[in-house]
Amino acid sequence: MAIFAKGWWQYNKAKSYVTLLALISFAQALCIITQAYFLAKTIFGLWQQDSLVSQVFFIIYFSLALICRHVLSFLRTKVTDWYSSEVGKTLRQRLLNKLFVLGHSFMVKEGTGNMVTLNLEGIRRIEHYFALIGSKLVNLFIIPTVIIIFCVVIDWKSALTMFLALPVIITFMILLGRVAKARATACYHYYRRLSNHFVDTLRGLETLKLLGLSKNYAHTVDRVSENYRNATMSTLRIAFVSGFSLDFFATLSIAAIALFLGIRLIDGTLSLAPALTVLILAPEYFAPIREYSGDYHATLDGKKALDEVERILNTIQPSGNTNSQKYATFNQNSTIMLNNISVASGQYQNNTDCHNLLDNISFSWCGFGKIAVIGDSGAGKSSLIELLGGFSEPYSGEIVIDGLKSHHLNEKSWQEQIIYIPQQPTIFQATLAENIRFYAPNATANAVRQASTKAGLDELLSELPRKLDQLVGEGGRALSGGEEQRVALARAFLNPHRNILLFDEPTAHVDIETEYQLKQNMLALMQNKLVFLATHRLHWLKEMDWVILLKEGKLNWQGYPQDLFKSSEFKSLSFSFYAENENS
Amino acid sequence: MSILWLGTYLRCYRGQLILATLLGLLSYCCALGLMFTSGYLISKAGTRPENILYLMLPVVMTRCFGIARPTFRYLERLFNHNVVLRMTSKLRAILYRALEAKSLSIRNMHRTGDILSILSDDIEHLQNFYLRIIFPFIVSLLLFVVVVVVLGAFSLALALLMLVLLVVMIIVVPLLSYAINGARLVKQQEIRHELYTSLTDAVLGMRDLLYSGRSESFISSYEQTDDCSRFHLSRSRSFSRRRDFTWQLFSLAILCVLLIWSNMLVINNRIEVNYIAAFVLAVFPLIEAFAPLPEASGNIPLYEDSVKRLSTLEVPQPASTIALSSFNLTAGVTIEFKQVSFHYQPEKEILHDINLHIANGEKIAILGASGTGKSTLSALIRGDVTPSSGEVLLNGVSSSHFGHEISSIVGVLNQKPYLFDTTIGNNISLGSPHASRQELEAAIEQSGLRELIETLPHGLDTAVEEAGARFSGGERQRIALARIMLKNTPVVILDEPTVGLDPRTEAKLIRTILSGFSQTTLLWITHHLRGMEQMDRIVFLENSHIIMDGTHSQLWAKYEHYRTLYQMDSFQNML
Repeated sequence: MAIFAKGWWQYNKAKSYVTLLALISFAQALCIITQAYFLAKTIFGLWQQDSLVSQVFFIIYFSLALICRHVLSFLRTKVTDWYSSEVGKTLRQRLLNKLFVLGHSFMVKEGTGNMVTLNLEGIRRIEHYFALIGSKLVNLFIIPTVIIIFCVVIDWKSALTMFLALPVIITFMILLGRVAKARATACYHYYRRLSNHFVDTLRGLETLKLLGLSKNYAHTVDRVSENYRNATMSTLRIAFVSGFSLDFFATLSIAAIALFLGIRLIDGTLSLAPALTVLILAPEYFAPIREYSGDYHATLDGKKALDEVERILNTIQPSGNTNSQKYATFNQNSTIMLNNISVASGQYQNNTDCHNLLDNISFSWCGFGKIAVIGDSGAGKSSLIELLGGFSEPYSGEIVIDGLKSHHLNEKSWQEQIIYIPQQPTIFQATLAENIRFYAPNATANAVRQASTKAGLDELLSELPRKLDQLVGEGGRALSGGEEQRVALARAFLNPHRNILLFDEPTAHVDIETEYQLKQNMLALMQNKLVFLATHRLHWLKEMDWVILLKEGKLNWQGYPQDLFKSSEFKSLSFSFYAENENS
Repeated sequence: MSILWLGTYLRCYRGQLILATLLGLLSYCCALGLMFTSGYLISKAGTRPENILYLMLPVVMTRCFGIARPTFRYLERLFNHNVVLRMTSKLRAILYRALEAKSLSIRNMHRTGDILSILSDDIEHLQNFYLRIIFPFIVSLLLFVVVVVVLGAFSLALALLMLVLLVVMIIVVPLLSYAINGARLVKQQEIRHELYTSLTDAVLGMRDLLYSGRSESFISSYEQTDDCSRFHLSRSRSFSRRRDFTWQLFSLAILCVLLIWSNMLVINNRIEVNYIAAFVLAVFPLIEAFAPLPEASGNIPLYEDSVKRLSTLEVPQPASTIALSSFNLTAGVTIEFKQVSFHYQPEKEILHDINLHIANGEKIAILGASGTGKSTLSALIRGDVTPSSGEVLLNGVSSSHFGHEISSIVGVLNQKPYLFDTTIGNNISLGSPHASRQELEAAIEQSGLRELIETLPHGLDTAVEEAGARFSGGERQRIALARIMLKNTPVVILDEPTVGLDPRTEAKLIRTILSGFSQTTLLWITHHLRGMEQMDRIVFLENSHIIMDGTHSQLWAKYEHYRTLYQMDSFQNML
């Protein structure tokens, strides 16, 4: 059936869960029958003008059955609440872990907003989905069956009416359900687009305002919302028709049953007591189907979310290779070798427009040292840093560290040796001290202060009333690009034991005067480490031990900095912008 | 207060809401009617009347109710959802407009995660608030009135007894549920908000988490918070279970009361015996109608915050701006700073007594370390902030008078221009949505994008991905540049557009900019000194004052400080 996600029964204890609920439903069906039977008997007694006192036992029996029925409901909810929560919890854990495996670039592709929403709202929908399967879907199969068997015993003709109504209802439900499903699928993507559109608009609000479009753009927001409403309404119209047809046939069948019962009562072929029993049971027979139909949408949503989560859980990393090497701490005798490494963009999707970010790179280095990675933007500087940090996987080539061969460096024992400083470091929503302590949560307050001094944060601290306890990040005080960079530097200064430093244009957002203030401290930090510094601030080259020049993903030149200045590759690089400056 | 806001808001849709409510009430009445007439019908049939015509009326009524109930229900749902989605559209618009008014300080005010949660929580919650709480309560109360009045016609005492029982069921129990479960839900929502914030942080800072080896500790702390939220959830659910069970006992009481009472009426010959079944059977749909209320009211606090947050959003009144038509642009624009001082906090002055005259077509560089108020100059020209003293005049008109019209006079290319998640063509067209194809092509040519666009798989229709992730920094700037060029404003401010670009890309971009804006007044805010010799004039800010002002060669000759910085930033000093 369309409502079941593929392989849902594989979830933890799903079979025992459904079995237990089936038993509860069965017991409940018996209660419903008992309740109807004795209520009908009571009414029949009173109708015959028997005294109320003579009916007391029937009233008690029927009351007890009704109480039992609700005790069972109580148990059912308890079980489904518990189970759906367990499933949600497990899925959320798996999803989160998987996202960490797939990494940053995957999330950017999928949309960070989507990932957050899927993890929170999506999982909630899935929980709801499992709760629905557990309660209403199991009811749907068991309660009507038991009731109809009982009706066959007391009045097979009514049972036949009920039975015949069912295929009609189900056919309609499936037919309309299919259409609604197709619409909902379309709408789901539409919704995702709308959701992203609105957030995208809000994020770009500043740009819109600078372009003078922000006022008029409100109409675009309105239009997209209205489109969404129309799309949703067209889905709902069909979904509601399916609800309507269900409702319609169910009520019509009850009315028909009442009529047939009436006719046979007039004939005298049937007594009032069983007739009443059947009449009380008829709505109960249709109730599970009706209850479920109201939640059909929630089921679809849940299933969609589950499919989405499954899709991400089943996304394999490009090569699917795992790296089980255990890297020892990188020291002055260690070696690192890249052999014919190529990395392509868009490896997660089967994109036709993927191109090489890194193209057949070979490089080796022994011991500590400062290696500059230079080149135009888009030449592959960041891609190389990503590769060294274990965040991208080459589609060909291998990486050898101290003789340990591997396909990629996504390995804990390697990443634990790294300090990574990108162009725009992430500032977490926490205090300044907690942000600085990020790589060393146990650092003392004193150490944090020293690190922040080294990173040139003193000036900022003097402006903050709460000093290091100032809340920063998106919720707290906003930091400028330069200040963010200093926080990242402070993180590095606080961790002298991490031997591999990856800098991705660390001073890009710092003005020239500040950069020079920071440079001496940064150079001190770089002593006795393996440093890869992607930069376009060429004054750094003087202090570097080795230079890698990348061009269009290829290693164009490598060697000592002083040799670079004589090389033809460098002349072509530097000439282009100096010539421009001088010519104009 | 916030409920009042919602009230005024719902009032916009009064007609449709009343209609939906009536349809809802009718559909419940039909459900009651169906069971009532059915019960009567078969009891009457049980008396075996000689003529089937005696049964005609109940038969017709059973059929009518049977058909009317689902029809009314269908219409009610359709009306309701349409109204709700209309409200959602309107709310998004309100949210957008409210944020738009504040957009220049938006970075500090709203977190990305917050906007997401406002989006997915508040607006959707408000939909549900109406569909699951406001609407069912109104319909139930109306149904309650109808039932009590109808029963009152038979017996006042019974009406009173039913009134008490029903008040417990649809008012007392829901109120208790609100009081007890509400607090738990609020707690739970707080935790969920925490989950949102920390997850958003983690998603953005994933690399740091992995390198620092803290991803596991993050995951475990996230799970702890999740567990905590689950704990509160399970407590509130266990309350719900017990409450629902108790509530059902009341429904049993109603059933028994009606059974006994209808029997008494029969004994007193007030009604015919056939009505016993009618009254008793009608109890079931009645209870079904009221059943969702206790759960719904327990959820009210979930919506309170959303309503409160949304109700504080103010839609700004349009500010009075001068009509652009009265402003003559053909003669170009001169910018005049007259004794301008500016501060956010009185103790920290950012600009002090600045006098600056920028002639039409002049290319001027504004230099200075970060935090010296360079960007404030730009905000002052755009009229986004007003000077604490003095004035900024564009052709003699104070810049704050232009409102959002300023963007047709002043174009800005800043550090992080935003690219929207649509095609590259759409992104460029934002500069001038009604521009012709030729104008668009010209802007692409001028901004040096042609080559790039030709290599793209779908040309101008290639998607830029989230926040322009597909392109490098230099390419993103060029796309934004094409946008500004298409906009074709007489004044362009470049607010450190080359930050983060490599020297070659930077040099190319500067060349493109200078050639593309040859007729335009250009203000180039930078802390790099490269390319200064190409500017008409250089203004150097330090400690909220202008400390140098002149051409490159003038400053070079006059100031040692300028020479040092220029050499530091240029390439020669490393050779």
